[in-house]
Amino acid sequence: MTTSLWRQHVLPFTLLAGLLAVATLAGDYFLHRLNLVWVGRYLGIPGTLLIIGSLMYSLRKRKYFKAGNPKSLLTLHEFCAWLGSLFVLIHAGIHFNAILPWLATIAMGINVISGMVGKLLLDRSRRHMQGQREHFQLRGLSRPAVEQAVFWDAVTYDAMTKWRKVHIPIFVVFVVLSLGHIVSIFLFWGWH
Amino acid sequence: MNPIVKVLLAVNLAVLAVLVFVYPHLMVGPGKLIAGHKKLDADCFACHAPFTGVPSARCVICHKPADIGRLTTTGQAIAKPLTATPFHQKLLSQDCMACHSDHAGVKRFRQAGRFDHALLQADTRKLCQDCHKTPTDSLHRQITGNCSQCHNQEKWLPATFDHNKYFALDRDHTSRCVTCHARNDYSRYTCYGCHEHTPANIRREHIEEGIREFDNCVKCHRNADKDDIRGELAKDKGRHEGKRKKREDDD
Repeated sequence: MTTSLWRQHVLPFTLLAGLLAVATLAGDYFLHRLNLVWVGRYLGIPGTLLIIGSLMYSLRKRKYFKAGNPKSLLTLHEFCAWLGSLFVLIHAGIHFNAILPWLATIAMGINVISGMVGKLLLDRSRRHMQGQREHFQLRGLSRPAVEQAVFWDAVTYDAMTKWRKVHIPIFVVFVVLSLGHIVSIFLFWGWH
Repeated sequence: MNPIVKVLLAVNLAVLAVLVFVYPHLMVGPGKLIAGHKKLDADCFACHAPFTGVPSARCVICHKPADIGRLTTTGQAIAKPLTATPFHQKLLSQDCMACHSDHAGVKRFRQAGRFDHALLQADTRKLCQDCHKTPTDSLHRQITGNCSQCHNQEKWLPATFDHNKYFALDRDHTSRCVTCHARNDYSRYTCYGCHEHTPANIRREHIEEGIREFDNCVKCHRNADKDDIRGELAKDKGRHEGKRKKREDDD
C-alpha cells in the first residue's frame, strides 16, 4: 500500500513539481551561459499564450463550446499550463525588480501546484473510494451498509474536491495581476 | 465561487490596484533608477510616453547633446569625464535608448561597456584613439592608428587579422598566443615554445634534407604540414625534392 501510494501519487507529483523547478533553473542557467539572457525577456509571451491555450479545457468543461474530447483537452490543459508556467518562470528569472509581476508569479506557482495536487489527490480519492466500495460489496454488505462503511472516505473525497476552491480564485488573482503586468509593459516599454 | 471569496478577492485586487498608482516605482518599475535620476523615481511619465517608451526628445530637455561629456545638466564643467573626448555631438542620430537604460532591471539585459560604433558619424568612426587607449604591448606600441587593419568595431578580440596568411592555426596549433609570441611580442615568434619542436630535432631534420637555412620557419612553412612548402622558398621546393629523391635512389 505504502509502495503504491508512493509510486502512484507522491512520486508523480514530486517529479512534476521537481522537473518544473529543475527545468526553470536549467533554462535560466543556459540562457546566462550562452549569453542569451534577452531571450528570457520575451519568454513571457509564449508562456502567456500557452497558459491561455490551456484554458480550452476550462471553457469546454463549463460548456462554453462543445468541440473536442474533454480528456484530450485535459491532457492539453496540463501540458500547456506546465510548459507555459516553465516559460513564465524562466522569464521571471531570479531577478526581483517590481512587486506586481512577482505577485503574479507567486499566484501562478500556487495555481500550478494546486492544479497538480488537485489532479493527483482527486484521482487518488476516487480510486480509493471505488476500491473500498468493491471490497465491502464482495463481503456481501447491502448498499446502505456500504455507503455507511465508506462514509469517512466520501467525506475525504469531498474534501479533496475542495481544491478547486484554491485553484479557481488563485487563477483569478493570477489573471488580474498578470494583466496588470502586461498592461504596464505596453504602457511604459518602447517596442522597437 | 463563494460570494465571500469573491468579495475578498475584489477587495485585495482593488488594494493592489491602488498601490500600483501610489507606488508605481515599487509595483511595476523594473528596478531602481540611476542615482542622477532618483528624484524621478515615482514620476514615470517624466521620461516615458504612453505606449511608445522613452522618446529621446524627453532626454534632451535636460541633457543638451552639445553639452554631453562637457557640462552637467546644470551647466557645470565635468571635472572627470568618462571619455577623453566628447562624442555625443558626433552621433548620426539622437537615439538615447540605443545605449542608455536607467532602470537596474533593464540594465541587466545590456552588456556593460558595449557601444554600437555604427551610431557614430563615418569620419569619427576612424578615430579610435580619441576614445580608446592604445594597448601597451610591444606590437601595438609600434602602431599608430589604422586599427581596422586588424580589428573590427564589434569587438576588439578576436582580431580580424588573418593569421592564416602567415601561418594556419589548425588543430595542431590551438595553443595560446604566448606559446609562439613570447611576452605578447607579436613582432617576433618562435616555433620552439612547445615540446613538439626542439632546436635539435628541427636542425637534424633539415640537415637530413640538405637545408641549412632554417631559422625563419614561416619563410617556408605556412601550416602544420611539413611537406607543404610555401613562402619564399616554394620555388626551391623542386630542388629539395630532387635532392631527396636522389638520396633515396642512392640508398
